Amino acid sequence: MTNFDRRRIIARRAWPTLSVVAALLAVSQAGAQMRWSPTVVVDPEGPWTARRLADHQPDVQGVWSNDIANHDNFTDPQGGIPGDPSKGLHVANGAVDRPVKPRSERAPSRVSDPADGEVPFQPWARAQQQEFLANFFNPTKQEYIEPGAHCAPAGVPKSLYWHGYEIRQFRGVVLFLFNGGTRIIYLDGRPHLPSTIKLWNADSRGHWEGNTLVVDVSNNNAKARFGRTGEFASENVHIVERYAFAAGHYTYKAVFTDPFVYTRPFTVTIPAHRITESAPQDGWHNEQEWANRLPGQPPLYENYERVCVENNHGHGAIVASPKAAANAAPAPAP
Amino acid sequence: MALFAAGVAAAEAPHTNRLTGIGRTADGRPDLTGIWQAISTADFDLEAHSTRKDAPPGAGVIDGDSIPYLPGALKQRQANFAARDKLDPRLQCFTLGVPRDNYYPEPFQILQRPRDLTLIYEFGNSVRTIHTNGTLHPAGDNPEFWLGDSRGHWEGDALVVDVTDFTDKTWLDRAGNFHSDALHVIERWTPLDQDHLEYRATLEDPKVFARPWTLSVILYRLKDKNIQLIENYCYTLDYDKYYPFPGEGVPRGAP
Repeated sequence: MTNFDRRRIIARRAWPTLSVVAALLAVSQAGAQMRWSPTVVVDPEGPWTARRLADHQPDVQGVWSNDIANHDNFTDPQGGIPGDPSKGLHVANGAVDRPVKPRSERAPSRVSDPADGEVPFQPWARAQQQEFLANFFNPTKQEYIEPGAHCAPAGVPKSLYWHGYEIRQFRGVVLFLFNGGTRIIYLDGRPHLPSTIKLWNADSRGHWEGNTLVVDVSNNNAKARFGRTGEFASENVHIVERYAFAAGHYTYKAVFTDPFVYTRPFTVTIPAHRITESAPQDGWHNEQEWANRLPGQPPLYENYERVCVENNHGHGAIVASPKAAANAAPAPAP
Repeated sequence: MALFAAGVAAAEAPHTNRLTGIGRTADGRPDLTGIWQAISTADFDLEAHSTRKDAPPGAGVIDGDSIPYLPGALKQRQANFAARDKLDPRLQCFTLGVPRDNYYPEPFQILQRPRDLTLIYEFGNSVRTIHTNGTLHPAGDNPEFWLGDSRGHWEGDALVVDVTDFTDKTWLDRAGNFHSDALHVIERWTPLDQDHLEYRATLEDPKVFARPWTLSVILYRLKDKNIQLIENYCYTLDYDKYYPFPGEGVPRGAP
């Protein structure tokens, strides 16, 4: 329901101009109280010593969120979006430190290898990324609007720094429920889908090595960007993810291999922390609501339905009925 | 609503027989884990209907001859039917809602824990949680959900789910059957054997229906080798042409 209810605040009746979309995307970040860390904490891989599930998986169920920043900038996560005309807007809510702190005091790039923190793009691909970024704040073509503005799934890896998310585990399955998109990770060794099938959140096969969930990712439709800075892969990308879990924290390291786009494989590192019952509701890390319980029972969070407004709204403002017209107006992703 | 719920509970006595030969969870409940799909004409028209250009014939899946609409609502249903090729929310890949998602002709997956059941509907990749941990419907300011708010409990081998807090934006089928935001659904999911579930839903909506009524379909477990849901974010189809892979000359979908 999250975005459905927000429409009451931000609903508009007509499809806005492209520049308005971009401006609202920037402004909409200001509402959330965010807390970010500049430090990348790396959990070591090793044995799992805590609770296990009946099928012997480490029990890592619950809500988690990224430590560092949102999806504004892939390689300078606390640097804001280059060219942002709203200078300083993000500073108020702590989403980024720009322009308060110099680069050396902001979080490092999400690219941890190579050492320069840059995606090792081939020259043509670097030019494509720069073109997207240069047009982000004044998109003159549909392709310059990030797909998330239409409520498209954020894909791999952006879903991991796009609001808090829930992990549920079942026999032979790890399920990620993101704010916009779902990944079902099968642990039973079955083969990937046929390579002609391409998906927003790709196709995932996993297994556990001690405290580490290892996931092989293929069948990516390559339509989602890694952030508002426009980094991307091709449909041929092969990703191997390693989620190393500790009790209240985990570190995600993923190697991206795509010889059609990059000059060499590179590694993405994303630290994340558990959201517990003591975490405040902040509209980003913790979007849960308090469950309605019988008197005397301890407080319990639960996630409401997450249906993005435009998830229910085809691009081009086709409306189902006169009543739906008012309620289903396009709204930006929060 | 409370009186009605009690009435339904009395009218539909709990199935207390414990089936043998079905999978069970550690706490002894039927294990509904799996991928399921209805084989039924329910989504074309819940009511009995002869063949049409846009629907195969069907004997109907409701108790009784017709859905008991209030007079004004019946006119709305007729208008919906006349314009169904334009107004059916499924055409825009709107979240189908409850109960329609359960008999739409596309699979859905049930994943089960003691505290809840997670239902993932392939159409739109909609995710629904049926809470079975004793929590109640949300209190307060009348939230609205596309899939409603689902609180379930077990009566013998039947999972009984009370669903409230709906939007008025979903339809019940392709024939324009509809409801308001006052919809209240009581579902009974009853295993028949390892691979078949009876799904019954009783619908109450004082703004639209003259009295509660019930539909039922059989759900079949899909047993194809390596069966899995294939992500169907169909609502992205209207704009995904704007996101071609940006590199010209790069092979698309090379293995």
